[in-house]
Amino acid sequence: MTAHQIIFYCLAALILITGLLSVTCPKVFRSAIFLLFSLIGIAGLYFWMEAEFIAAVQISVYVGGIVVIIIFSIFLTEQAGKETRSIHPVRTVFAVLAALLGMILTYLTVLNYDFVESNEAFDLNIPRIGNAMVATGEGGFSLPFEVVSILLLAAMIGCIVVAMRSSITKPDEKKLTQSITEIDEA
Amino acid sequence: MFVTQYIKDVFGAIKSLGIGMRRTLWYFVRPKEIITQQYPDNKDTLVLAERFRGEVVMPHDENNEHACTGCTACELACPNGSIKIVTKFDITPEGKRKKAIDQFVYRLDMCTMCNMCVVACPSDAIIMANDFEHSVYDRTKLTKILNKPGSKVRDGIE
Amino acid sequence: MWSLENITKSVDSWLNLQFSPTIAFLIEAVIIMVLVIGLFAFLGLVLVFMERKVSSFMQIRLGPNRVGPMGIFQTAADTLKLIVKEGFTPNNVDKFLFNLAPFIVMVVAMVVLAPFAFSKGFQIWDVNVGIFFITAVSSLGVIGILTAGWSSNNKYSLLGAMRSGAQIVSYELSAGLTILVIVMLTGSLRISDIINAQADGWWIFKGHIPAIIAFVIYIIAATAETNRAPFDMAEAESELTAGFHTEYSGMKFALFFLAEYANVFIVCAIGATLFLGGWMPLHFGENNWFNSIMDYIPGIVWFFGKTFFLIFVIMWFRWTFPRLRIDQLLNLEWKYLLPISLFNLLLATVIAIAGWHF
Repeated sequence: MTAHQIIFYCLAALILITGLLSVTCPKVFRSAIFLLFSLIGIAGLYFWMEAEFIAAVQISVYVGGIVVIIIFSIFLTEQAGKETRSIHPVRTVFAVLAALLGMILTYLTVLNYDFVESNEAFDLNIPRIGNAMVATGEGGFSLPFEVVSILLLAAMIGCIVVAMRSSITKPDEKKLTQSITEIDEA
Repeated sequence: MFVTQYIKDVFGAIKSLGIGMRRTLWYFVRPKEIITQQYPDNKDTLVLAERFRGEVVMPHDENNEHACTGCTACELACPNGSIKIVTKFDITPEGKRKKAIDQFVYRLDMCTMCNMCVVACPSDAIIMANDFEHSVYDRTKLTKILNKPGSKVRDGIE
Repeated sequence: MWSLENITKSVDSWLNLQFSPTIAFLIEAVIIMVLVIGLFAFLGLVLVFMERKVSSFMQIRLGPNRVGPMGIFQTAADTLKLIVKEGFTPNNVDKFLFNLAPFIVMVVAMVVLAPFAFSKGFQIWDVNVGIFFITAVSSLGVIGILTAGWSSNNKYSLLGAMRSGAQIVSYELSAGLTILVIVMLTGSLRISDIINAQADGWWIFKGHIPAIIAFVIYIIAATAETNRAPFDMAEAESELTAGFHTEYSGMKFALFFLAEYANVFIVCAIGATLFLGGWMPLHFGENNWFNSIMDYIPGIVWFFGKTFFLIFVIMWFRWTFPRLRIDQLLNLEWKYLLPISLFNLLLATVIAIAGWHF
C-alpha cells in the first residue's frame, strides 16, 4: 500500500466515522460538530485528488457557510443542550429502510454509469474555471448557476416574509397584507 | 438628496476618524508627553500638585506657636467626626482664664479629605498637606495629635 | 547572493538524496511544523508586547517596563504563568466540545498559513487557489468561537459567540470583495502570481483608486474579522466580561489569546501580500537604479516589515476608536462597506478591462 492509499483510507474513515457519529449522537450540537469534521474530510478528499478549487469551495460553502448556519439555528432552539428524546422504534425501522433504499439507488446509479479511468491531471487554470462559470455552450455552468440563484431568491423572499409577519401582525393587520403583497411584487 | 448625503457621511466619517488617529499618532511619536510617574523610583524628585489633599496638618512656626484658638469650628464642620478638640484654660499674666487647645485630635482613618475644616477655620490654623504615604502597621497610629507638645497659640490671634 | 530559496532547495535535494521521496516528504512536513509552531510562539511573544507598548504610548503611559530592559521579557513571564496555571474545566459544560474549541481556533490559524509566501521561494504550498484557500479556511475560525461560547454553559459566553458569529459572517463579505479586486487586476488566485504581478510596482500604486478604496475597506473588515476593538463585540469586557472565552483558563485561554494575535498577523500578511507586494521590494517601473538598490534588502525583511506596519495600523485603530454598538456594527457593514465595495469591484472591473491601471 502506498502512502497515497493510506491517506485515502484515513480520509474515508474520518468521513464515515464522523458522519455516523453525527447521526447517532444524542446531543444536537455535537452532531453539528461531527458533521463539520465529515465535511472537512470530504474537502480533504478533494485536496487528495488535487482538485484544489472544488476543495476550497467545499470548505467555504459547506463548512464555513452551511455548518455555521446550522450552529446558529441550533442556538435558537430551546433544548440545544439536552439529549434528544429517544425515537419510537417503528420510526427507526422506517428511517433505516429509507437510508438503505437511498443507498441502493445511489449504488445502482453508480453501477450503471461507465467510469473511465484517466491519468490526466485536472486542468485547474483559474481563468478557465471562471469562463466555464459564465459559458452557455457545452461544459458551461451558466444555466445551473441561474437556476440556483432563483432558488436562493425564493428562499430569501420566504425569509423576509417569515421575519416580517411576527413583527407586524399585532399592530395592524392591514399593513401586513399590504407589505406581503409588496414583497410578492418585488 | 440621499446619494449626496451618503457620500458626505462617508467622507465626514473618514475625516473624523483621521482627526482621532492623528491625535493618537501625535502622542505615539512623542514619548516625552508620558505622564506616568514611576513612583517608588522617583520618590526623591516626585512633585505633587499643590492642590493635592493628603492629610490635615497644623503648621507651627519657629517659636513652636500655632494659630489655633480652639474655637471648634473645624470640629463642627467635619462631616464624619474626624476632628476632636480637647480644650483647656490657660491663665494669662493678667490673671484671666483663657480658652486654649490641649489636644487637636485628628483621625486620618476617618478623614475623606473634603477640605471643609480648612475652609471653616477662621484663623487659618490648619491646612491640607501633600503627604500621601500613610501606610502603617497599626490603625491606632492613624489617630494623630496635630498640635506639638508644649506649643501655644500665637499672640494676637483671637 | 544569499537567499532563502537556495536554502529550501538544497535541503529538499539533500533529503531526497538520502531518503525515499515519502520519508523525505514526511521529514519536510515535520520541519515545517516546527517552523510554524516557532513562528506562532514568536508572534505570541512579540505581538502582545508590541500591543501593550503601542497602547501605552498612545495613552501617554509607559507600559510594561519592569521585567527586563524596557519590559521586553514581560510576555515571556506571562506565558510562563499561563503554562503553570491550572486548566480548569467548570461543572456542567460539554467537556468534549469545551476542550476541543481552542484547538479548532488554533489549527485553523495554522492551516491558513500554508499558502503564504514569506520570501522568494520560501513558501509552504504554492497552491493554485492560494488566496481563495486562505479566505475559505479562515472562515472556519468562527466555528471554534461558536463552539467555545456554546459549550461553556454561560450566557455571556453564548452572547459573545453569537455576536462574533454575526460579525465575522457579515464582514467576510466585504473582505472577500476587496480581495476580488486584486484578484481581478492580477488574473490569478495563486499567491506567487499575485506577488510577481507587483514586480514593477505594488498594486496599491498600480491599481490607484479602486486599490486604495479596497485597501481601506480591507483593513476595516480585517479588524472586524479578528474581533478586535473597535469591533470587539465578541469580547466586550464591559458588558460580557470576556465573551466566548470567559470560562477558559490556563493554557486553553492562552491558545485563544495566541490565536487572536496569529489571526491579526494572518490578515495583515494577506493585506501586505495583496496590496503591498508581499516580499517584493519597492519597485517603480522596470530595471532602473532605484529597483536594484531596493533588491539588496532581502524579501523576508520586506514581508515582515510590511506585515508589521499593517499590524501597527490595526493597533492604532484599536487604541484610538471607541467600541461600536452591535447595530452600528452591522449598519456599517451592510449599509456602507458592502455597497461601497460592490461599487468598487465594478470600478475595478472597468479599469482591469480597459487597462487603465499601470
